[in-house]
Amino acid sequence: MTRFQQLIAKNGARHRRHRRIVNGVMLSLTGLLTLMALVPLFWIIGYVIYRGAPVLNLNFFTQLARPIGMRGGGVLFAIEGTAVLAILACLFAIPPGVLAAFYAARNPNTPLGIALRFSTDVLAGVPSIVMGLFIYGLVVVPMKHFSGFAGGLALSILMLPTIIRTTEEMLKLVPHTLREGSLGLGAPEWKTNLSVVFPAALDGIITGFLLAIARATGETAPLLFTALGNERFDIGAIIQSGIQAHQSIFAVIGRIINQPIDSLPLTLWTYAMQPYQERIDQSWGVALVLMIFVLLIEIVARMWIEARKRALQG
Amino acid sequence: MKNTSVLKRNTWRERLNRSTRHGDIPWSLLVGAMAILVLVVVLAIAWMLWTESADARAKIGWDFFRPTLDATWNPAKDIYQAWPFIYGTLITSLVAIILAVPISIGIAVFLAELCPERLRLPLNWMIEMLAAIPSVVYGLWGIFVFLPVVVAPIGKFLAPLSSLPSFAGTLFTGPISEDGTSRLAAGLILTIMIIPTITAISRDVLLAIPDTQREAAMGLGSTRWEMIWQVLLPYGLSGILGAIILGLGRALGETMAVTMVMGNANEATGSLLKAGYTMASLLALQFKEAVTPLHTDAMIELGLTLFAITLILNLLARFLVWQVARRTPQEARA
Amino acid sequence: MFKFTRAFVFVAVAFSFLLAACGTASTPAAAGAPATQAPGSVTLTGTGSTFQFPAEQAYAEFFPAVDPSVVINYTGTGSGAGKKAIIDGTVDFAGSDAVLNPDEITAGKDLQIYPFLAGATVMAYNLPSLDPKNDPKLILDGKTLADIYMGKITMWNDPAILALNPKIASKLPAQPIFTVHRADGSGTTEIFTNALTAFSSDWTAGHGTVIDWPTDKAGTGKGGNGNPGVTAEIAKNQYSLGYVEYAYAVQNNLPFAQMVNKAGNVVTASPDSTKAAMTDFANAFTPQLTAVIVDAPGAQSWPIAGYTYIIIHQTSMTDCVKAQKLVEYIHWILTNPAAIKYATDLGFIPLPDAVQQKVLGTLSQVTCNGQPVHW
Repeated sequence: MTRFQQLIAKNGARHRRHRRIVNGVMLSLTGLLTLMALVPLFWIIGYVIYRGAPVLNLNFFTQLARPIGMRGGGVLFAIEGTAVLAILACLFAIPPGVLAAFYAARNPNTPLGIALRFSTDVLAGVPSIVMGLFIYGLVVVPMKHFSGFAGGLALSILMLPTIIRTTEEMLKLVPHTLREGSLGLGAPEWKTNLSVVFPAALDGIITGFLLAIARATGETAPLLFTALGNERFDIGAIIQSGIQAHQSIFAVIGRIINQPIDSLPLTLWTYAMQPYQERIDQSWGVALVLMIFVLLIEIVARMWIEARKRALQG
Repeated sequence: MKNTSVLKRNTWRERLNRSTRHGDIPWSLLVGAMAILVLVVVLAIAWMLWTESADARAKIGWDFFRPTLDATWNPAKDIYQAWPFIYGTLITSLVAIILAVPISIGIAVFLAELCPERLRLPLNWMIEMLAAIPSVVYGLWGIFVFLPVVVAPIGKFLAPLSSLPSFAGTLFTGPISEDGTSRLAAGLILTIMIIPTITAISRDVLLAIPDTQREAAMGLGSTRWEMIWQVLLPYGLSGILGAIILGLGRALGETMAVTMVMGNANEATGSLLKAGYTMASLLALQFKEAVTPLHTDAMIELGLTLFAITLILNLLARFLVWQVARRTPQEARA
Repeated sequence: MFKFTRAFVFVAVAFSFLLAACGTASTPAAAGAPATQAPGSVTLTGTGSTFQFPAEQAYAEFFPAVDPSVVINYTGTGSGAGKKAIIDGTVDFAGSDAVLNPDEITAGKDLQIYPFLAGATVMAYNLPSLDPKNDPKLILDGKTLADIYMGKITMWNDPAILALNPKIASKLPAQPIFTVHRADGSGTTEIFTNALTAFSSDWTAGHGTVIDWPTDKAGTGKGGNGNPGVTAEIAKNQYSLGYVEYAYAVQNNLPFAQMVNKAGNVVTASPDSTKAAMTDFANAFTPQLTAVIVDAPGAQSWPIAGYTYIIIHQTSMTDCVKAQKLVEYIHWILTNPAAIKYATDLGFIPLPDAVQQKVLGTLSQVTCNGQPVHW
């Protein structure tokens, strides 16, 4: 309690004025800092819209890249690639992530539970470029080529800790009475988990997925040595040729994920470093599309969370 | 006789049969396997970085880490000394942490304690939006706007500090290049990028402090600021330290934005105003283009170093949080 | 015991990953059977040199009009990356401005190099005091250039530079020279450092795709990512000097320096002066079809030039449809007048006839599973 005694001792009249000034200055400073932090946000958003909006048109979304020096062309390849990578990353990350979260939520204090929490923390801290190195060694070198598969795997490792953590949090929020009721009615543990606890936590978990996808979509570093980038990626053409050659759906999917693939941030990185004005202009367009996409997911997810909170309180 | 036969049927075979039909054992095996998988991924990353860098560790040895900025990284001659990159990573992260910590804590205090209720949610969201903006967009904005408009003037303003004695002086050896690409630029961009991380966690820490603490301090006649500075911040110290370390982790591993604004030169003075590399940016630029097998191995060793630093930070964070939590037993959370 | 279990678990998981990887890998191979050459069914993946990237991109746009079954994927990642990728077998062909060193030839077994275009490397500069239209171009010679990159000449008004540029001597400022180089591994760097090594015995930093730049140490050097990154750095920084490919400098209207060549004449980078350099060294090809063409002796030869190459596996390709298409593709870019025009429009310099015949002779010897492949 010495802290409070010090407070009282200081509480003399001659300090009062000084203290009031310090109080006023420091409190307004915190408000000022908050405003200051928002400056880059609006500056970035505003400038990206200012530079990016003029290049956005239908062609930008529906065409592939054209060679340098020829006007026009779009970034359809990057949009398709981003979608493929996001789907792959979800496929690889969500099932193990959710199941591991079930373990973590039920067994927080077993040795494996503690080890799991620790490795989740470590994984969240591993720089994304190191993930790229890892997948390069694990997949790209044995497969002997860069591929969307490798890129998706790298992104999935990046998403894994977010998915485990949010899912675990959401599972823990489900009232005990629900699981006890289900177990009491004789349902086995797995059935209780899958058909009672999981649905009850589902919308929270999905918002967690959304946030993880938004962050993964914006990542470039893990894709540099895995997905590589590919301006001529064209799902439409692959599917069309697949149909003409009577290939099975698996063969077509295999061809889609088995070649180098581009993504919006990767395209932005290559375009921005080019000296051609049209490419630099397009890189701003890519930045705008990417930012709208990421921020939109973020906002939707957060509104969802808020609505849910309000529903619970009301 | 009858009884024993019933007992016999109730042995392991029957129990196994029942529990597998029940489904719990497969379920717990599956769930446990996935938990192990996460562990295995972490171990596999470490194992891969360790084995793949074996050649570099054997051939280069400790010379790799010799702490001199006048170091050689020359694939043409197969000489690799990594200190300038380690230094680049550390100095940029340090700049970012020094600037971001007071700003973030100020924001967290504002959001948790002072902000009008109606503004709280939108402000929270906006700060978190800063974390959602992709790293390459930061880089792009950095090259074209932030560097020429903000960093280059700051660099020119700081250049006279080079007359400071010894190391402090060399930190500001100018002049900064006209486009602003420099270690300072990377540090400033990182500052913006880690503010949301530190803010969000510190804010949650402050919000979790029970109101009794606030009421006690106010009841003793302290001003609001004194309550915040002398009661709330010390109370939440462990959580805030954790937040800072997480922010530091993000700064250390950040790649794209830093690569785009850092200038990429193996520079020997170590000045903030000069171009440099970080470990991550060297990997991003040179890994795909490795010249010799030893070059590749040396870069994987660089990745291993980065991994080890983040691992150590993680352990340190846990230790700190544990230490502080032990000293102030009332806050066993975190 | 614990160690053993851990290792076992890891091996098991890694193995299952590999199985998954192989599973996906095998499907497209089955799809590419000769009977079904649907449009877009054969993908030729290449990576490497950013220098040849604009040309490859134009080829990728127009070659499918000649053979609709082929899709060309070429990504510009740097020559070092290209060589690494073809040695590791991660691509079908690599683009490189750099030759293979003996280790790489051993590691890559049957790699064959095909020069198909040449480029001049030029010294682009940003001197605001010079009017690009009315003032004469800056003139440098090899020795001065090496000294600048060694950090021995640091100012624009150094006597050595003034002596070479009497007409604009009054306009060369007392400003430090800011040198820009490639940050990534690059054949352009190899060509440039080869030239510096040939120009001056004072150049001691060696030559290769990535080197340690003496000016970096002094804080007056900076790296850019790819030809584009270097060009951007020069454009943004006054008083800077950097080496970029002729094609990039032309496309961006960057002023670039004239050079004093070995014969002592002031020459400017152009298709003609580069072709002169190629002709000077027409008989200097190694069995791998590589040649160093810096510091050429001819009266009008540009001194910093180099070939850009496509690298393929000459005998070990196993997918014969792919091999066939790859050979057809290389033959097309070497001989088709339209293809040559795309490249020259972008600022590349096509091969002289004598060189082209040599290259086609080697291309006719490509085999797949022991069978010759014809275009």
